[in-house]
Amino acid sequence: VIARAFRECGILLALALIPAATSGAIQLKWQSSPEALLPGEVRLGTAQMWGDAVQWVDTRAAAKFERGQIPGAVRLSAEQWDELIPSFLEVWDPEKTIVVYGEGGVDDDAHAVAGQLKRELQLDNVWVLKGGWVAWQQK
Amino acid sequence: MFRAALALLTLTTAASAQLQWADPLQEFQRLPEDKFVQTRFAFRNSGSAPVTIKKISTSCGCTTAKLDKKTYAPGESGEIEAKFTFSGRTGPQRKIITVVSDDPAQARTVLDLRVWVNRPLAIKPGLVFWRVGDAGEAKSVQLTAEGQKVGIKSVRSSNPRIKASVETVRPGEAYALVVQPTDTAQKESAELIVHTDYPPDAPRSYTVHARIK
Repeated sequence: VIARAFRECGILLALALIPAATSGAIQLKWQSSPEALLPGEVRLGTAQMWGDAVQWVDTRAAAKFERGQIPGAVRLSAEQWDELIPSFLEVWDPEKTIVVYGEGGVDDDAHAVAGQLKRELQLDNVWVLKGGWVAWQQK
Repeated sequence: MFRAALALLTLTTAASAQLQWADPLQEFQRLPEDKFVQTRFAFRNSGSAPVTIKKISTSCGCTTAKLDKKTYAPGESGEIEAKFTFSGRTGPQRKIITVVSDDPAQARTVLDLRVWVNRPLAIKPGLVFWRVGDAGEAKSVQLTAEGQKVGIKSVRSSNPRIKASVETVRPGEAYALVVQPTDTAQKESAELIVHTDYPPDAPRSYTVHARIK
């Protein structure tokens, strides 16, 4: 009877270990890389290493842009694409890497603008700043 | 004891979300003239306890999501009315609506609204450029009608030092916009305005950008 109890306990322990190990692995991975990069995203540290070879593109609303922006940034948004694209092209340098940023967090306008630059203008060196303006302010 | 524990484990694993969504991913094809897409994400509380939706957020200011009420009894259905306004956006658009509830099995649900905003005339590429000192050879931009006949009536360059002309490949379907600078000695910019005959009641114009950098 004791042997049977030990055997059943062993099986139960093994069964409990499966979800525990899975959950633990997921949590450990989440903690080690809390902000996984989406396709086309770049971290602030990497973009800063590119230095002056970056053309920053700010997709936030005009009022927020006026209150502060990354030095040298030009404003461009999906909503005002036709209106703002000439001013972007005035400062655009084919030799520079374009890094697009929005407010940060749940913000997909930066990705939309980056996609539009790639698709419509066929520019290929275009990235989205992970964390956006919030990441820049926290640097 | 063993059987009881195994049954408990099975029940825990099989626990599923109370809110069941009919169509959490919706896709649309639209023209820019349509201006917006409005749709409904329907759900039902299939559980045995009320569920309260605590928060709804969208990934873009261009998208709104509305809910009639917050708490849904077991068996009760509801829907979130979502509206995505294009406001100049073209091409593939993906808008995420995040729903947070007190459903213990699935507190967070992501609704996915995908809209392809097709322009009647596809332009590839929308930018041609030369570097200062380049040979200054002519460059071609493909103008392709998508879904319906679009005729090109004329093209006008904002800068006489960058000239543009249209060659017909297939009338109403495909054209080539040929762009050439007189020289590339200095930086120049031009906006090339392509006038079409579509839609007939309010024909659209498109802009192609040319730069010497």
